[in-house]
Amino acid sequence: MSVKEANILLGGPQGAGLETTAQILTSSLAYLGYGVLADREYYSNIKGRHSYIHARISAEMIPLSLSYPVEIVGAMDSETIFTHFEDLGDGGYLIYDSSTDNRTLSSIASMEPILKNRITERLKRLGVEAKVSSLVDYLASNGRAEIVALDFPSILDTFKKRFEPEPIQASRYVSSILVGAVCGLLDIDEEAVKYGVSRRFMKKEKLIEHNVFLVNYVADYIRENYGSPYKLDNSRLSLNEMLTVMGNDVVAMAKIVGGLRYQSYYPITPASDESFFIEAFERLEVDGDSIGGIVVFQTEDEIAAITSAIGASLTGARVATATSGPGFSLMVEGLGWAGHSEVPLVITYYQRGGPSTGLPTRGGQSDLLFTLFASHGEFPRIVLASGDHIEAFYDAIEAMNYAERYQLPVIHLLDKFLANSFITMGIPDFSKIYIDRGMIVEDGEDYRRYEFNGPISPRANLGSKAVMWYTGDEHDEYGHITEDPEYRIKMYNKRMEKLDLIDKEIDPEKRAVLYGDFSADYLLVGWGFVKGVAIDSINKLRSQGLNGAYLHLKMFSPFPSSYVKSIIGSFDSDRVILVEHNYLAQAGKIVAMNTGTIIDRMIVKYTGRPIYVNELIIGIRKILEGEMRVVLSYGA
Amino acid sequence: MVLKPSHYKSNVWIDWCPGCGDFGITAAMYRAFSELNLDPAKTVVVSGIGCSGKTPHFLNVNGVHTLHGRAIPFAVGIKLANPELTVVVNGGDGDLLGIGSGHFVAVGRRNIDILIILHNNGVYGLTKGQASPTLSKGVLTKSLSKPNIQDAVNPIALALASGYTFVARGYSMLAEHLKNLIIAGIEHRGTAFIDVLQPCVTYNDIHTVEFYRKRVYNLEDEGWSPDVKGEEQETNKKLLAAWEKSLEWGDRIPIGIFYRNTGISTFEDRLSEEIPIYKISPPSKQIISDEKGRTLIDREIFRKIFRDYIIIRKQER
Ligand SMILES: Cc1ncc(C[n+]2csc(CCOP(=O)(O)OP(=O)(O)O)c2C)c(N)n1
Ligand SMILES: [Mg+2]
Repeated sequence: MSVKEANILLGGPQGAGLETTAQILTSSLAYLGYGVLADREYYSNIKGRHSYIHARISAEMIPLSLSYPVEIVGAMDSETIFTHFEDLGDGGYLIYDSSTDNRTLSSIASMEPILKNRITERLKRLGVEAKVSSLVDYLASNGRAEIVALDFPSILDTFKKRFEPEPIQASRYVSSILVGAVCGLLDIDEEAVKYGVSRRFMKKEKLIEHNVFLVNYVADYIRENYGSPYKLDNSRLSLNEMLTVMGNDVVAMAKIVGGLRYQSYYPITPASDESFFIEAFERLEVDGDSIGGIVVFQTEDEIAAITSAIGASLTGARVATATSGPGFSLMVEGLGWAGHSEVPLVITYYQRGGPSTGLPTRGGQSDLLFTLFASHGEFPRIVLASGDHIEAFYDAIEAMNYAERYQLPVIHLLDKFLANSFITMGIPDFSKIYIDRGMIVEDGEDYRRYEFNGPISPRANLGSKAVMWYTGDEHDEYGHITEDPEYRIKMYNKRMEKLDLIDKEIDPEKRAVLYGDFSADYLLVGWGFVKGVAIDSINKLRSQGLNGAYLHLKMFSPFPSSYVKSIIGSFDSDRVILVEHNYLAQAGKIVAMNTGTIIDRMIVKYTGRPIYVNELIIGIRKILEGEMRVVLSYGA
Repeated sequence: MVLKPSHYKSNVWIDWCPGCGDFGITAAMYRAFSELNLDPAKTVVVSGIGCSGKTPHFLNVNGVHTLHGRAIPFAVGIKLANPELTVVVNGGDGDLLGIGSGHFVAVGRRNIDILIILHNNGVYGLTKGQASPTLSKGVLTKSLSKPNIQDAVNPIALALASGYTFVARGYSMLAEHLKNLIIAGIEHRGTAFIDVLQPCVTYNDIHTVEFYRKRVYNLEDEGWSPDVKGEEQETNKKLLAAWEKSLEWGDRIPIGIFYRNTGISTFEDRLSEEIPIYKISPPSKQIISDEKGRTLIDREIFRKIFRDYIIIRKQER
């Protein structure tokens, strides 16, 4: 017996090695050719609060969505058991530390009281005492779950006797017990384990030896006592090389490939990892030779991040800044200056749960309207949203091209779900990548930065032979201030007409993509990270006889109005459903504003956790049965 | 060819109030730029918003008139992306020390090679005379309905505390002296700051030409030596002395160079240590694609650069 895919959840306190667990497993699985998508859920906290990794592993494809229930819950601590026991599917495997059998729910200090109360109520209803052993017995006796009880301290003792690691280090090996148990259940071979561990600890021979031993020791025990119930099919993916990356990494790689030379940032979750990544490659060394250099500049705040990026752009450097909601709020005045002064600039915007500090480490899509309307006055901007890691790679390069071609700010919208989830993906297709720097001139006689030459004036850079002026005031062709009413119309039009030009030049089918066809029974409309779960849910429902399609919105400004209108218009209005990670179903407002078509059915989620296939399917059914609005809430 | 001061004057009509101290500052810039024979195409004057913010339009060099308070970070981006440019910031006291004070402090920590000229008139000129961050408590200028209840920040002391390596004060009516300060500030490698006392004839009836004429004296005339020579101890000594001097305000107001330290690395130096090609090939100068628009990084280079992120699948035997 073997399986095509497996869903697993591994939980433990923040800072206790969960990330290491995920990295080792992902590398081992990628080595065997499997597709992996792993979401990281964590508190805004450095050490001690509950965090977990929720992953799908597939032998057939690169997974683009997650679902519950899972087949394996691996618990580093008792908080994980209490928090996630109902995430485990019937007959699934719970891996836990049997030395914590006497732990009671009330003694878990790190758990939020609100959740504690909820779980207490739940256990009461189930008639289960709020204690690890009782909960485990309940799961086992109902045949609900197979229990993999491992005595972590005694396993560590065996290990310590053999290797004598330094005492403080011993606890760091707990994550390898979990890795071992999962490897046993999935039957991941020793070679793959060795590969995964070696990659994680890169040349630290001792750590590699210790962890490989521990993982295999536990894995063998599991195989002997439980078999390998989720032995994975041989992978059918055709990729021979895979990137194992988070969304932050992918965007950083794209910016590096796409010629970024200046990135400014102020630290904020979930954006700063991208800047860190770029900084690690600032010398752009290939075989010891430098093929460029990237300045990554940590500024004093986000106002300086955007304004210094604008300054750098004026000199001709390819620039970007990366931030999240609170940072973008501070950038807004600078955004307007860039739009007004026609400055190429990319803002990579990772949405998280708002408003205010909101849910700093959780996901959301509630900033779409903000990005479209931020800053006073009217000016052209491009707002581009990516649906998955692969799209994000190409879009990040495209965003820089658009910014320079059209001389305007481009907001590249992403979210925490994408930023912090791990994926295995193929190496990008370089035939699809190009660099477009727009209209650049060097010579300087009587240069006019805003020459009336259609919407785009030839761009000379500060430092070229030209002398030029910039101002946030309304200006003449030279960039000097003017308040003349008739001139105002000309200059205003010149700026705004860029939107028409872009609308003409960029294919609407690139700006909105239909998955499925017009004959479908219903149409989902979404954007960003909704893409994967929407497509997967449609596929699931298709096997149940319901034929659906998904309209993926990618560019919100300028919006592909007639194309979207024609697609939505060909479905009955009660069969069109918005799916979004916000309260208002914001993309629906933009559709209405641009096409006159009001979509009044929606499935929304704003818990900060991703939308899962299991709940979206139910949501779709409810809407098709007549409900207008479904609010999803699955996930701890 | 040497460019005359008049060459640095643009043909835009200067719309400051007649008698405004900003004229003196601008004239000093024309003369300083001329003496340094700056190439207008390689010079950038960056300003914020206010009466002072209009300065770039009156100069015939590159001008970037930015946002209220943000001239410094714009200038920093320009300089870091193209270090061969001479970058001069002009800001008001509201601009640099009120809304933009965070940037004013941060730039000192970096010692980026730019000059910052503060148009210090004690008021928010362009918004009609409200108290600025350099107006002392108890002072009643023309537009205020009652004496100021906020106290003043000391620009010289703040610059010293923030790590500026050239700190000076000038007076807009002493054009020759100010011109020399501007030249010294531009020639200084590192962040240079000149606090320019600038009478506002329309809204500040306290700090008038008359007021300053009686009080201003030149530090140099009293044998002040601002320069740090060597040792760290010397740095602290000079800093403390400059700090103490910065407190002198009243019957006598010192102008001139308070402090100068040429021994601190610039941010550009620090970047070059991280990124060796930075000096020869800063961000603005790099070619990022071939003529056909192909990226410098192709599939093979990508595989090399990011090898730690690439997993090669186990070969089936
Ligand atoms: C964000 C923002 N807030 C307020 C203003 C309005 N404003 C314009 S100029 C100015 C004050 C200028 O004072 P100062 O910086 O001292 O320059 P001065 O006019 O005295 O040279 C203010 C508050 C603005 N332009 N932007
Ligand atoms: Mg002022």
